Amino acid sequence: MEIKFDRKVKEDTNIKGRVSEFLDKLVTLEKEINIPVIIFQDGKSGSYYIKCSISTSVVSDILDLEAKLEPNQESFKANRDLLLDHNTYIKMAKDAQNGREFNDIIVEYNLEYKPGKPLKVWGGQHRSKAIQESQGKANRYHGFKVFFGLTKKERTEIALISNTNIAVSNDTFDRIQEETFYGDGLRKWCQNIGFLNKNENFPSQRSKSEKITVKLARSFIVNFYLGKEKGKTLRATELDGNIYEPYISETGITLDSKYQEIWEKMGSSIWRKKDLVETGKTFYKLHNAQYKGVKENPRKIRNRKAFRNKALIESVITSWSYVAGLLQDYKARLKRHYLVPKTSGKIPAPLNAEEMSRFHHDQDPPTYRGLGARSSLKDRQRMAQVFLAKTIDDNNVLDRKLLNKAVSQVIGIQALKKGYTE
Amino acid sequence: MFNYRDYINFAESLLFLYEEGNPDKKELLISSILLSWIAIESFVNNMLEDFVSLPKNLFSLHERAFLLEKEINFLDSGDSLGTFELTKRKYIKLADKILFLIKKFNPKIRSFKGNYLWQNFDKLKEIRDKIAHPRKEDVFSIDTDQVKEAIRTSKDIIRFIATKVWKKEVEF
Repeated sequence: MEIKFDRKVKEDTNIKGRVSEFLDKLVTLEKEINIPVIIFQDGKSGSYYIKCSISTSVVSDILDLEAKLEPNQESFKANRDLLLDHNTYIKMAKDAQNGREFNDIIVEYNLEYKPGKPLKVWGGQHRSKAIQESQGKANRYHGFKVFFGLTKKERTEIALISNTNIAVSNDTFDRIQEETFYGDGLRKWCQNIGFLNKNENFPSQRSKSEKITVKLARSFIVNFYLGKEKGKTLRATELDGNIYEPYISETGITLDSKYQEIWEKMGSSIWRKKDLVETGKTFYKLHNAQYKGVKENPRKIRNRKAFRNKALIESVITSWSYVAGLLQDYKARLKRHYLVPKTSGKIPAPLNAEEMSRFHHDQDPPTYRGLGARSSLKDRQRMAQVFLAKTIDDNNVLDRKLLNKAVSQVIGIQALKKGYTE
Repeated sequence: MFNYRDYINFAESLLFLYEEGNPDKKELLISSILLSWIAIESFVNNMLEDFVSLPKNLFSLHERAFLLEKEINFLDSGDSLGTFELTKRKYIKLADKILFLIKKFNPKIRSFKGNYLWQNFDKLKEIRDKIAHPRKEDVFSIDTDQVKEAIRTSKDIIRFIATKVWKKEVEF
């Protein structure tokens, strides 16, 4: 078969020999259908490579995922460890088994170590692993960039550029999936509630935004219905004797199963549910009051993002929504829940974020960061109790006494449950 | 408000000050012993407080009276006649509070009063009582070993209660 140098390439017979040897030993698509193979040269590093397509059955056994910068024994694997439990990899492996074709996998043809696996993978090791895992289940052509005759310096540069990526946030994945699978209902609902402005989209990265994300909006909705369901199983006298477990929607490449379940049951009619809209608007009022309370009182409370957006912390939004669902059939308590907690000179914003951040129970490790600061189950359980305890009487304020009482309840009930198991 | 960790830290700091150049200041050792005891009191009282906040029906009347440190009074007049009410404050010893907590959450546990830990607790109580309720006939001396023992006992008792009630370890 014909092997040609690209016009811009400085021709090198040694490289041509290596490419020829590679093509003699391996079946590529180009060889099968007899089309010329072009040798390219990277203008920056000067390294030579070809582009070719190789099938799963041919390539699986000759990929080496432990590429070294120096072919000697002292050199260790240079690439990062594989993240085989990561959701993105799990999906990738599944896709490969269903016939997904991957491209632009960066390998080096090198017989100096482990000659039985001459294709040393520098870029796309997860894709390569997924291809290997799909062997016997799917046999597709995958696109490779195969480098030849690399010096250590060239190899290092390829390793570095192959491992440089601009991470895509889970919030972006969620945003894409939401629109693809469910349409624009959630976005419009959030615009209607006030979480998003008219014509505004969900943020692509939460850490850089002060707006509600797809994950939080889904969590809000799921918890409302989870709470509502739970509320139907309880009598009024039982409401305060339980520990509740608000839920956080899954994020990233996986679709959240509970959100999906609700969607399958209700479809787009969910966006017109009056109780959900009322709950959303009430929560937005709380968020707004908290935001303004912090922003407008810099002398009384530090104007920190975590304090301004306290309502949008996972444990807070999920718990508030869960309790709203739980109390749907208990109107007097629901009314109290919907009241924005009172502010005062000492508590300038309704969620009393500073007091919460100082909160510490004897059971907490010294590193505990305070109430409503994390997304952990413990924090969600505690915050649900805080909001529930607030509805017991008309004392509509989230002060230290109430926080203590609520957390004591969670810990007390947990201890009682564990105690009786002996 | 301070918690048991703070009290233990204070006790250790005072012991450190004594050992690092203040050998004539016995008040540092005395305070350190008291703080070791206060650490246990703080821990136990806070733990009981957790249960006080639970719905009433989760504890018997006697248990609630114990938790609230109150006496039970039978009413023989008024609209609530024939029922009980919790009235004036009743002092409950720290040791009894611990016994209650351990038994309540470990119904099958056998007496542990003879074990090494409880004996150390009794020793700590004795020395603390001598400090807090002094009498001229008491012969009383205090040294760093006693203080170290007091701090260790305080931590051990707190750990013991935490694992028996919460089924959790606590960190110092």
